[in-house]
Amino acid sequence: MEKLLKLKNSFTEQGILISFNGPFTHSIIEEIGNAIKRYLEAEQLTQGTVSDVFSVYIEQTQNVRNYLSKKISSLNQHNTAILVIGKTNNHYTVSSGNSILRRDVPALVKRLEEINSVEKQNLKAFYKEALRKPRDPESEGAGLGLIIMARKAVDSLDYSFCPLDEEYDFFSLNVTVTGEA
Amino acid sequence: MLDIKATKSTPRIIFIEDSDTLEMSGESYPENSFAFFAPVFEWLHSELPKLKALKFDVSINYMNSSSTKCMLDILDLLNEAFEQGKEVSITWFYQAGNDRARDLAEEFKEDLSIPFSIQPFETEEVTE
Repeated sequence: MEKLLKLKNSFTEQGILISFNGPFTHSIIEEIGNAIKRYLEAEQLTQGTVSDVFSVYIEQTQNVRNYLSKKISSLNQHNTAILVIGKTNNHYTVSSGNSILRRDVPALVKRLEEINSVEKQNLKAFYKEALRKPRDPESEGAGLGLIIMARKAVDSLDYSFCPLDEEYDFFSLNVTVTGEA
Repeated sequence: MLDIKATKSTPRIIFIEDSDTLEMSGESYPENSFAFFAPVFEWLHSELPKLKALKFDVSINYMNSSSTKCMLDILDLLNEAFEQGKEVSITWFYQAGNDRARDLAEEFKEDLSIPFSIQPFETEEVTE
């Protein structure tokens, strides 16, 4: 079968609505973000769902962008990422994948597990506490993005790591939100 | 003088002297929130002590995590000024029917003692 048709069929089967694979820049994040909003508004979803998907999308892509721009040279082949937004039944899943230095993995796992261990109803208090912490000058993000995603997610934060070479792993994060029509 | 033009990912921020009103409107997910809001903090630190009163009108439906952190710091400064006797108040407008935008305002309001009014507004579909 023709390559592109194969890809299209595979996307359709998996319910993939939007996908981007390449270097993330702020303007690409803005452009895709606008496209996502328009797309979801055309789907007649509530403002709430459009906001949730958009918010998870922004936190994921900005986290990835901040990490890559700080840690990996733009000339390095590892300085790219993939973003996929898919729909299954009435749920929307925002997924991002990027290279991560293996030495940075334990701290990230610790943070993800810490957030996943908080009961859903306690996430608001956990978030507010994190919001009150003085910001880490080393980190561009306020370290809050993952908690925001966890608050919006149907389940816990779903993540995995896969070795790429001696130095890098591939980190993927999937966050699913409920669609309300 | 404070007058920051809006972009796709940053809000318009302007101080209107005649009415002692600081206005912030649009969406906020800058590439670097702390750099983006730095002029607002500079302005607040130099001008707030000179003002008798300040109205803060916010019309924002979406903020990313780091903007939320900056907003909290701005609101804390205003709250402190209010507790020291300055006439400060906040009016937060959100798009009618957008629960998430209302929740955003409610969560800020919860921790402050300053007069904080949350009001819906009707919007027309804006196409670019």
